[in-house]
Amino acid sequence: MLFGRNKKNPIKIADKKAEKWTYATCGYCSVGCSIEVGTNAEGKVVGSRGVGGADVNRGKLCVKGIFEHELFESSGRGDKPLIRDSIHQGYRETNWDEAAKKMVGEINRIQETYGRDSFAVVSTGQLLTEEFYTLGKLTRGVIGTNNYDGNTTLCMASAVSGYKRSFGSDGPPGCYEDFEHTECLMAWGSNLPEQHPIIYWRLQEAREKRDFPLIVVDPRVTMLAQKADIHLAITPGTDVVLQNALMYVILDEGLEDRDYIEANTVGLEQLEAEVQKYDPTSAAAICGIDEDTIRNVARIYAKAGSAMSIWTMGINQSTHGSDGVVGINNLNLITGNVGKEGGTSLSITGQCNAMGTREWSSCSGLPGYRALENAEDREEIGKFWNVDPEFFPKKRGLAQTDIFPAIETGQIKGLWLVATNPMTSMPNTERTRKILEKLDFLVVQDSYADVETTQYAHLYLPAATWAEKEGVFTNTERRVNIVRKVTDAPGDSKSDFDIFNLLAKYFAGSEKMTFPEKPEGAFEEMKTLSKGRLVDISGMNHDLIEKQRGIQWPYTDEQADKGELPPSGGKRLYTEAGTFRYADGMAKLIPLPFIDNNEVPDDKFPFWLNTGRLVEHFHTRTKTGKLGNTNKYSPIPFMEINPDAAKELGIDQGEYVRCVSRRGDAVVMAMLTQRVPKNMVFIPFHFFDCVNRLTLGLLDPHSRQPAYKQSAVTIEILEDQQAAAQLSMEMRRF
Amino acid sequence: MFEVRSDEPKYAFLWDKETKTKNQYGDSIELASETSDLHGVSLNINNDAALGENPNRYKQHGFYLNADNCIGCHACEAACSEKNDNPAHIAFRSVGFVEGGTYPEYQRLNISMACNHCDDPVCLKGCPTRAYTKYAEYGAVLQDPDICFGCGYCTWVCPYNAPQLDPVKGEVTKCNMCVDRLEVGLKPACVSACLGNALDFGVIENVPDNREQSKTEIPGFPRTDITHPNIRFQQTRQTKREMTRTDSMPLKYHKDEDEGQYKPVVDEKHGAKRQWNWSSLLLTHESSHVIFTLTTQAVLGAFLIIVLGHLVDSQLILAIKSSAAYLPLLVVMNGLLMTGLFKLNMHLGKPHRFYRGFYNLRHSPVSREIAGVSLFFTSLLGFTFFSFLDIELAVTLFAILGALSGPIGLFYMYKLYRIKARPFWDHWQTASSFVGNGLSIGALIIGLGILMGSGISSVLYKDLLVVLLIGLLLETAGHIAHARDLKKGAGEGAASWYHQVTLYGWPYIISNALLVLSILTTVALLAAPTSVVLWCVLAISLLSTVIIRRSLFFVLVIPTNMPGGFFWKNKGFEQHAKESGLAKMQQVGVAYEAHRVFNIKELVKTIKETSMKEAVDQIKGIFIWKEVK
Repeated sequence: MLFGRNKKNPIKIADKKAEKWTYATCGYCSVGCSIEVGTNAEGKVVGSRGVGGADVNRGKLCVKGIFEHELFESSGRGDKPLIRDSIHQGYRETNWDEAAKKMVGEINRIQETYGRDSFAVVSTGQLLTEEFYTLGKLTRGVIGTNNYDGNTTLCMASAVSGYKRSFGSDGPPGCYEDFEHTECLMAWGSNLPEQHPIIYWRLQEAREKRDFPLIVVDPRVTMLAQKADIHLAITPGTDVVLQNALMYVILDEGLEDRDYIEANTVGLEQLEAEVQKYDPTSAAAICGIDEDTIRNVARIYAKAGSAMSIWTMGINQSTHGSDGVVGINNLNLITGNVGKEGGTSLSITGQCNAMGTREWSSCSGLPGYRALENAEDREEIGKFWNVDPEFFPKKRGLAQTDIFPAIETGQIKGLWLVATNPMTSMPNTERTRKILEKLDFLVVQDSYADVETTQYAHLYLPAATWAEKEGVFTNTERRVNIVRKVTDAPGDSKSDFDIFNLLAKYFAGSEKMTFPEKPEGAFEEMKTLSKGRLVDISGMNHDLIEKQRGIQWPYTDEQADKGELPPSGGKRLYTEAGTFRYADGMAKLIPLPFIDNNEVPDDKFPFWLNTGRLVEHFHTRTKTGKLGNTNKYSPIPFMEINPDAAKELGIDQGEYVRCVSRRGDAVVMAMLTQRVPKNMVFIPFHFFDCVNRLTLGLLDPHSRQPAYKQSAVTIEILEDQQAAAQLSMEMRRF
Repeated sequence: MFEVRSDEPKYAFLWDKETKTKNQYGDSIELASETSDLHGVSLNINNDAALGENPNRYKQHGFYLNADNCIGCHACEAACSEKNDNPAHIAFRSVGFVEGGTYPEYQRLNISMACNHCDDPVCLKGCPTRAYTKYAEYGAVLQDPDICFGCGYCTWVCPYNAPQLDPVKGEVTKCNMCVDRLEVGLKPACVSACLGNALDFGVIENVPDNREQSKTEIPGFPRTDITHPNIRFQQTRQTKREMTRTDSMPLKYHKDEDEGQYKPVVDEKHGAKRQWNWSSLLLTHESSHVIFTLTTQAVLGAFLIIVLGHLVDSQLILAIKSSAAYLPLLVVMNGLLMTGLFKLNMHLGKPHRFYRGFYNLRHSPVSREIAGVSLFFTSLLGFTFFSFLDIELAVTLFAILGALSGPIGLFYMYKLYRIKARPFWDHWQTASSFVGNGLSIGALIIGLGILMGSGISSVLYKDLLVVLLIGLLLETAGHIAHARDLKKGAGEGAASWYHQVTLYGWPYIISNALLVLSILTTVALLAAPTSVVLWCVLAISLLSTVIIRRSLFFVLVIPTNMPGGFFWKNKGFEQHAKESGLAKMQQVGVAYEAHRVFNIKELVKTIKETSMKEAVDQIKGIFIWKEVK
């Protein structure tokens, strides 16, 4: 049956009248999706869409990317520098000249009084690579503090450290195309559907073409765990034990790839000696995976023609994060699974430009994966920048997680935070507050004036965000991709690139150096510095990058000169035998003794506290918390708790509860679900004054990354639900 | 025409090469034969007269959800809202979920759902303004917000929660199937955005590549017999015996091992404690319906008692008519009905479009109710006016008209609540309650009126009290049967019963006690018909019980809707956000109802801009309806 009105009105469908689409790379996570931002005839930003011809995302975007264009008009943006003498006063607006003078004056004063390293810089994974490079030049070449790090210490430091220890250099060797070839995929503490939905889609596409086993290691039944053929619900913090046990079986049953090991690695004997202590029977008692399953998984992985491992924070954010990465590398090296199609150790990175900061920001070294510890590297960069190489420290300074304790104990007096929000992201919020309160001088440089750290700042510098500026990002698969400018930044705010250049002019001694005026200029310097190195980008330029929808490094000027276009994807590292970055070209097999130093549940604090990400939110919610179409899926913090545990405690679905650890407490809404075991709760990490009031964050000895995912808590019911709702709401200004 | 990009990915294009002729319900997939004059007409999207070249333009299309694959990533919802420029509180598509199993064998089933562009669209039939059209093109069921007056009836009848009543704008909007994309051969935006390879779209009954099933139901999805929805599912992975909802609805789904299908059963989420919850019972958007239905029924009851009483030469009625209380009584009845109609009109999203309420006499019980009640109101006005002038012929004429139109209005008022997707209402108790209330309150109004007018012999009261008692007993009988059927039933009706005895346990008990008290008082009045005290007790107890019970009628109904999430599309959280003030932050995505404005300017503009011919055509259109088979 059909029904129609006799006279039909024209059908009205929203038409945003986008006239121009500008190319950009998504500024949220590290997947590196190509996105086009639409503007109408008046130049107003009206929409976003995925770029169909881009290899990474092939026209798709996740919920955050789809609404990324709304960021330009989101609330809380800063449009004027703000200044005050003491954190007990209110801010007043100022101009850039006064702001820069104040900042440089304070840095000089602090460094003259307490020493060069008494002023620290903590940056981010959010800036464009040219900006990172410029900040590095300013910090290493002019300011000269060695206490300079990025917030990547909170997310990727363990991957970096593990890559360096195993392969002699940072740099994820695989690519997304590996899904198309692999015969076994093992995901360690990685929940692609929620954290990296576009990579999940690439995996799903591959699985629909060709079935292969998916093994997921996660204490929580994540969406990926539900899609897995085998889910290993591991005891938190015991990944290394499982890895050793898997290697025990592989070596015990002779499933290793002897030829590969011979041609590519050193250290097999020591590794074999260590894994002898982890027979599956003993290991099962520690990691909670039964011995038969351990043997089964080891055999599947080793016998697969090619096998790959991916991981995210489940590995990185633990006391053995770096070891966990090395363990994955060990597993892949002994089975011959690095540098081949479908065989790799691929860390799935967090921030849009975590890779860019690793490569070019000089945070833990010097640009282009150079090390402060290496005299040649210091010499080369000193010469290139026109800085006395002796001005550079000879050893890496403090990581972010050591800078904060150094403020606590008074060695560091001043801090510059660039696009990062430790008030929400660092473990133990109350301690972080006290630390920030102690500073003589805190500068916060951020797109948002309402970022929580401004409560403790003396100076706020308003920065442009994402496509209000131009430059490149590097994604998880080493793809350099470009962001073009779509619209102007609000008010007097400036791009971070321009802020760094402006500040440089106010420092004595910067005249002899060059700070290119445009991002392209900085990119040209990076190209020169990359020649002949692992991270060789010398064949690229901004226009070619846009044309190719991103280019994976290495892509050299020789290739470009020959007219060899970069492939659309599928580029890998270490494809030739013996080309690892240690001097002898060999990768290291490193034995991993297991030390259990986690805060485990006990009678007083009977629950494991696990933390993690939600698909609709990004990091500390300064962006996604303001957009209704992302925020509405989880506008307030919640806690997953097992219904059996909830019943014993008398907690109903949707009730507010108080979660208490040895550090502090948090009020959250209870979500009853069998996704978590009876002795574990899960709270997302995005919310201010919430889960990080509880976390311990013991540091990994190698990477200095905090173990967010292993703490112990207890749960208390709240009689006065109305007061709890009020309290919860007071903590959500957005 | 919608722009197809040069690098448009292959997955975004429609793929149907061959199509079937009949769907699983036996309905034709082809919607207009080649010779039909419906062929070759532009959809006129945003006034673009171009004609789409989709080869399957006149075939019923539908969504396909591979529930095994949905990961609940919200990309479909986001792509839809981005394309349709929807604010946070509106979504044409939503992902809800049910979960089952025990750690670590836990399972969450995500269900992404928009409009199913049904073969038998109850929204279209229910809409009084005829804002809906089922197009021969793609079988799309489209709604025009410019016609809609925001009554929200379509949101009541749809079993899938597809039409969205925007409380801010006061109008309904819904999924438009992205017909602009279909015209150029592209799949809808949500489908193209899917990251789990779960959603697909095409001519109905066509199964996408790599998929095998074409089921019409999965756990959590409402029954399909009401509307014949155009959605097909794949769901091959074993689901747990019991799948629960994370939202506040006291429902879960239990697998019937014999039939292999899931049935909704009660999930006692808030325990068994009896609660008060007066404010959420009485202060709701639906309170205008409470006032409208009760006043209309009462006035109609009183009117019929008077008119029919006169017809049978009732001594009582004759006495009343000659008493001083008669004319004031008629005035009061007019006042009551006017109040009810005013409340009803002002609860519309766009009250100034009230005249559109008659447009769908052909199908909508709402239109018929509005027509009936409006005619009854006119009759009552005429009856009263000529009673004042004492012109007997005119009074008789209006009495007849009122005695016909009133019951017709009441009948459709009852019919409109017999919604299959709302089991709590879909019971004969709705009728017994409406009629019973009409008789009892109608008699009460007359009784109170003549008590004041006095001078009437106490013997005459008895007839009135008998009518009142019949009304009360009718109400009670329906009430008992309703309770019995709900208790022994399953699903949404049983869930409503669970709320009745827990969330609103005390108001329910109190209303029952008051009903009994009303019956006892009426019986006592039979012995002492002029006792002012007893009349007062009756007035208070009867009015209180009907107000509580009618409020319960609206607040307790649980539709056979899709499950929501923990925050989004969770009624419990929406309520909490409003009560706590969280909803004041727009980005929470919970909207407050805007104040309804009678936009006189718009009305005047419409009157000015509508030519006489258009108006005549419009009226003709109410009776002459285009329908193609």
